[in-house]
Amino acid sequence: MSTDQLASLSRVLYSPTTLALYLGAAFVYLYALTTTVGRSAERERGRRAQRVGAILAVLGITTHVAHEIVRGLAQERFPLGNMFEVTSLMALVGVAGGLAYLQFVRKRPELNGFVLLGGALLLAMALLMYAEPGPLQPILDTWWRHFHVSLLVGAMGIFAAGFVFNGLYLLRDTAERSVAAARTATTRGSTVGAAYVGDLDTGDVPTGSSVAAAGGPHGDGPDGEDPEGEDPDEAAERAHAAAYRAALRAGVPAVKLAVGVFVGTALVSWVWLVEADTLAAGMQRFLTVNLVMVAAALLARWFVPFLPSTATLDGLAHRTIAFAFVMWTVGVIAGAMWAEQSWGRFWGWDPKETGSFLTWVAYAGYLHARATHGVKGRKAAWIGVGSFLVLMATYLVANYVIVGLHSYAEL
Amino acid sequence: MSRIDSAAPPEANPLVRPPDRPDGGDGPGHFVRASVVMGWRWMTRMRTALYLLALLALLTLVATVVPQQPNVPGTVESWLAGSEGPGAGISRVLGLTGAFDVYGSAVFLALLLLLFLSLTACLVPRIRAFVRLVRHSQPPLVRSVGRTDLTAHLVTDSSPDEAHAAAAALLRDRRWRVRDAGAPDAPGRGTKPAQVAAETGLWTREGGSLLFHLSFYVLLAAIVFGQLLTFEGQRGLVEGEAGFVDTEVSYWSYRPGRWWGEADHRGWRMDLDAFHVDWVRDPLAPGAGQPTTFRSEVTITPPDGEPYPAVIDSNQPLVVDGMKIHQLDWGYSPRLVVEVDGEVVHDRFLTAQLGDGGAFYRTAVKAPGADPDVGLDVFLYPFAPDGDDGRPQLTGAPWDDAPVVIVSQYRGNLRLGETQQTINELDTSGLELVGGAYLRPGQTVEIEGVTVSFPELRRWVGFQVSDRPQIPWLLFGSALLVGGLILALYAYRRRLWVLASPEPGSGRTLLLVAGRAFQRPQAFEEEHARLVAALADATGATPATPVAPDEPPQDPAPAGSAAGAGAPSTR
Ligand code: HEM
Repeated sequence: MSTDQLASLSRVLYSPTTLALYLGAAFVYLYALTTTVGRSAERERGRRAQRVGAILAVLGITTHVAHEIVRGLAQERFPLGNMFEVTSLMALVGVAGGLAYLQFVRKRPELNGFVLLGGALLLAMALLMYAEPGPLQPILDTWWRHFHVSLLVGAMGIFAAGFVFNGLYLLRDTAERSVAAARTATTRGSTVGAAYVGDLDTGDVPTGSSVAAAGGPHGDGPDGEDPEGEDPDEAAERAHAAAYRAALRAGVPAVKLAVGVFVGTALVSWVWLVEADTLAAGMQRFLTVNLVMVAAALLARWFVPFLPSTATLDGLAHRTIAFAFVMWTVGVIAGAMWAEQSWGRFWGWDPKETGSFLTWVAYAGYLHARATHGVKGRKAAWIGVGSFLVLMATYLVANYVIVGLHSYAEL
Repeated sequence: MSRIDSAAPPEANPLVRPPDRPDGGDGPGHFVRASVVMGWRWMTRMRTALYLLALLALLTLVATVVPQQPNVPGTVESWLAGSEGPGAGISRVLGLTGAFDVYGSAVFLALLLLLFLSLTACLVPRIRAFVRLVRHSQPPLVRSVGRTDLTAHLVTDSSPDEAHAAAAALLRDRRWRVRDAGAPDAPGRGTKPAQVAAETGLWTREGGSLLFHLSFYVLLAAIVFGQLLTFEGQRGLVEGEAGFVDTEVSYWSYRPGRWWGEADHRGWRMDLDAFHVDWVRDPLAPGAGQPTTFRSEVTITPPDGEPYPAVIDSNQPLVVDGMKIHQLDWGYSPRLVVEVDGEVVHDRFLTAQLGDGGAFYRTAVKAPGADPDVGLDVFLYPFAPDGDDGRPQLTGAPWDDAPVVIVSQYRGNLRLGETQQTINELDTSGLELVGGAYLRPGQTVEIEGVTVSFPELRRWVGFQVSDRPQIPWLLFGSALLVGGLILALYAYRRRLWVLASPEPGSGRTLLLVAGRAFQRPQAFEEEHARLVAALADATGATPATPVAPDEPPQDPAPAGSAAGAGAPSTR
């Protein structure tokens, strides 16, 4: 195949193929999530849906990897040379790593949908930065750089998964708090909302909210306990559970969420306004990114009642971010080694170096907050969300707005 | 705090701790001491570290958004002039606050100091506690198992003593710290039931965290001493021309650390034999015009040794006697000969630098030997093939397949030494333009009585020579940092208790295996299951259902920071 054919094949593999597969898998998984509170016939359907979702996700990861390989062949180099390639690989690591972690380590496949959705959003964002395949400057072509960039990109992908968990934690926590506040005015607020709400539920609501952190996989109550015939008690309990779910959802004010997400996204996406050639083009990208994020947040809000306990989500976020933090640390050190080798100085406060340091400090703040009494819980999660905004903002600013030595934005 | 009842007789009140410094009094000394104590207390709080980290992040954010003087002085200038950035007014305010040089500002230095003070303040008690812990701590015995602990029940034919011994051996094998209170007269048991208590992960986790935080001192020391001991110098060399010797005077720019001395130079000599550079020349190929190779072939002559050839590539600096040599930049080097009245006033290779826009290379000839002075403003276009009209067509291509030199000739006063001027730039304030011409290699032209010839085109390379003795120490600090971090984040503290008791009536022994993780409950759940399985293997036990109902919830020991996150009992 010629280089051109390889290039267009890689493009098709990326979008629409991978994008559609990720989105499809995400929605199948999200559907499966809604069945975890249903009766056994429904749960069986959910399990089948999860299997379909798994197939779609594996297919999506396969086409994504194929895209990376074909693109690498088209330009005869490792595809990590520009922002499109970096963002694309970030999505790949986030999806593959996040799914593997949820599926095999934490055994919580029902959350896969959110990771896939996040990956699809990143994938779509990379399209905003699409660049045709091309060679790499010789100064960039060194083992240290590949090591450094791969680690940082991997860490970015995993930080993105951590951001998803932190966001879900905040949604669920907000919902539980407002339900708890509404039900019992006397209940004092608590950072671990789950325990209190669990107490407040009269019925045994199988949402997982009363299952504490280290409990078994969500929704794996013995199947046999689900009688097929429905007695009146059962019906009342189901109605109660449904009402509880509706209350949880209503506990997250939609307008406030939409506005908050818009503003939060704007903290990052203003870069497209600055970088665009015309204001109209910039505005179009800015609004697209922001509105897609708002839509994703509202979608996630709809699934709030089906989420596992806040302690589980918090734990997922922490472990994910801790892992990525180690990767980031090693990656930054590798970057200093590369700089020493290529430019003869290991650290020069170049915009990218500054940005990576800032991200590192922000996530160190998250880890500290999580280990500090009186700060952990919501505040720590907010710091985690803020750290991801810092990560994305420095990534985009250092590439689009200020161009330093590391620059590959123009290549 | 205990309450004090002033109406009651003194002996009825609880003992009050005497003030720390009873001799302090009310004087200024007391005030200072009290402030220091309070400051130190404030410093030891983790929350303070969090605030300081946030402040550090904020300053770094400023440095990300606002151009920094040491990195991009040109951009800072245009911000201050108002031609870029938020406008001259705001930029002036930014300049006053030091935002253009965050890392050199006093605020940044003060913050760094505070961070290290805070680090020290929180490490001193932590290290003390850690040492105490390692010296004295024993896994605590349990009176009754809490509801939040992971439990498993086994039943075996071994006796309780045998079961305890087996459990202790098993846990010791797995490098747990074991306290065997299995015998009825075990020391310190008090009224607690016979048991084997074990703990692990605490030293590793806390030790890792300490290592991580201590690595900052190593890094700081390496950076500070590095600044003092380092050396960096730049020097350009033309292909085939005489090289330079590593001495203080031969560098074009010379930046030694404060403790770097003349005697630290190694005295080797370097000559540039050839410089290879190439590009993607096909204008339709992806990445057209991008460079693909930068490689210098050099000859190194040690002060008392034989010359040897070496290569410096774009990512492969050459190391000579501990000094690293990098290629920093390069350019074309035309040799221009200028004769006035039959006398050669200039004959050397120039070091032309890439001009603004990147289409040409620019340099200058300064010949003060003529009367009046001769100055040439020189533009070099490396690829300017002849067009249809027989004149060079200037292209922006950087390869030297059809080079042409365009000179503008000035006469008058060069004002050398009077004004600031770089070697590639003429100060035309005392000069008058008299004419111009273009030349190809090998050509000679005459402009108003001055003969200019362009016999040869070569290339020059700017080399950076550096000595950074701190690098091994930085690597050592980084290794401590990463190693400590991994331990701090992945090691987890957990306790295990094995309680064996005779089963009433059957003569068999019931085993209760209870565990609690202070971090990573998920990981511990699996480990607990493995330990239970191993213990069952070791004692020939089988799973049992507990006969007695769960004992009332009672924590055997105060839960630590991230206690178990409420692991439910699995039956
Ligand atoms: C100077 C910058 C600092 C950085 C980058 C930093 C970074 C970190 C990180 C990443 C952790 C997480 C590791 C763990 O969970 O054990 C941590 C933990 C910790 N840090 Fe720092 N730290 C800094 C300064 C400080 C200071 C000044 C203090 C004292 C107030 C402090 C106190 C602690 C404590 C007590 C922990 C233990 C948390 C735990 O055991 O989970 N750190 N630090």
